Amino acid sequence: MTNITGKTYAMNAITPMKPWKTWILRGFFFLLGHIKPLQADLVNLSFIHFARWVVIRRDSFPRLSAAQPAEDLQYDYLLFFSNFNGTWNQYIDAFSAVLGKGLNLVWFWSEKYPGAVPVTPFKQYIARVQFETDFYYTAYPHATTNDVKAAHRVQQALDTLADGSGNTSPAEFEQAYVRFLVSVQRDLGSTGLAPIGV
Amino acid sequence: MPNESGSVYGLTILSPIIDDPHARISHDLQLRMHLGALPRGEDSPFAKVSSTHMARLTVMNDVVYVGMPACEEHLQSQYLVFESNFDGDLDTYLRRMATEIPDHVDSVWSHCIGYPGAGDVAAFESYMKKCQLTTTFYFADVNDKTVQQTLRALQTQAAVASFIERNQGKPAAELQNAFTKFLGKLRAAPDPRPGSGKDQSI
Repeated sequence: MTNITGKTYAMNAITPMKPWKTWILRGFFFLLGHIKPLQADLVNLSFIHFARWVVIRRDSFPRLSAAQPAEDLQYDYLLFFSNFNGTWNQYIDAFSAVLGKGLNLVWFWSEKYPGAVPVTPFKQYIARVQFETDFYYTAYPHATTNDVKAAHRVQQALDTLADGSGNTSPAEFEQAYVRFLVSVQRDLGSTGLAPIGV
Repeated sequence: MPNESGSVYGLTILSPIIDDPHARISHDLQLRMHLGALPRGEDSPFAKVSSTHMARLTVMNDVVYVGMPACEEHLQSQYLVFESNFDGDLDTYLRRMATEIPDHVDSVWSHCIGYPGAGDVAAFESYMKKCQLTTTFYFADVNDKTVQQTLRALQTQAAVASFIERNQGKPAAELQNAFTKFLGKLRAAPDPRPGSGKDQSI
């Protein structure tokens, strides 16, 4: 599937907004960007590598030459790009169940947005406004967001063990090694291919 | 900066696609065919621009009509969407694209209006910036690690798990000796290749 490379799914969506509403949305994003606790649910979900929302004003679509016809639009548009782990259904389910209120604040300003709950009309809406990806690349296709975080914790713990193990006796090393094992035991899952679903 | 999160930059480009009624195959379709055939793994052009965490290219044919009572409207141009998440600053990244994968860049963006070619790096940078959209809100879950640091960490994670398994129950002196050898081998291992996803045995 073109939207998927390894364990990561590339999602694109575009929704129309009445121009006066985009300023409200920009205000919400400004708060979200500056008040980090508001991002807690997004961080805790821990299956989104990168995501972005981009508001395009109706007169701001790139125009590269006079020969290119100017866009003539009534709506501003909200673009959404996400790089997440798991299947489309899992993602939208989690969005609806965990981030419903936050998402409503983002998409409430888009035309015909039904709300994140109940999930069926929400999924129908997302399916309608989504467009497919033609090419998708990830530098670490077999790793989820949680794999990446766990790997960095292992790296840090190993560096600490290595720094402290230079001139230690075997008994002292063994003690440090056991402490290391305890600290990384939850982070040692192996990466690999994921089953493909929808 | 709204385009940045920590040390990661979120680039969004919308390049208008050439509309040539005389083309045997329309440029948007040529683009889709070309993009569909591009390698995605370690042979991907973006693996060569090694600061790229994740990138996508796709054709946006039109905006979406969501139904009544919304108004139905259409774009005058089709657009190539380029979304990339990379380490460092924009100028360096665009320069790397133009100098390290110029043929790939040309074969994609030559279907777009006003594209000057990657050969003129300054013109290429200027063109891409004209097509850039400012991100309104950008989220990066891990935003303080480079691609190479992440690939190294994933390699370390796999190697450590294997080392622990191989050395269970060994006497302290033997364990310490094995760890010293393991550490030397791990640190001397070549950098993992972006896009491959393969664990390298240490």
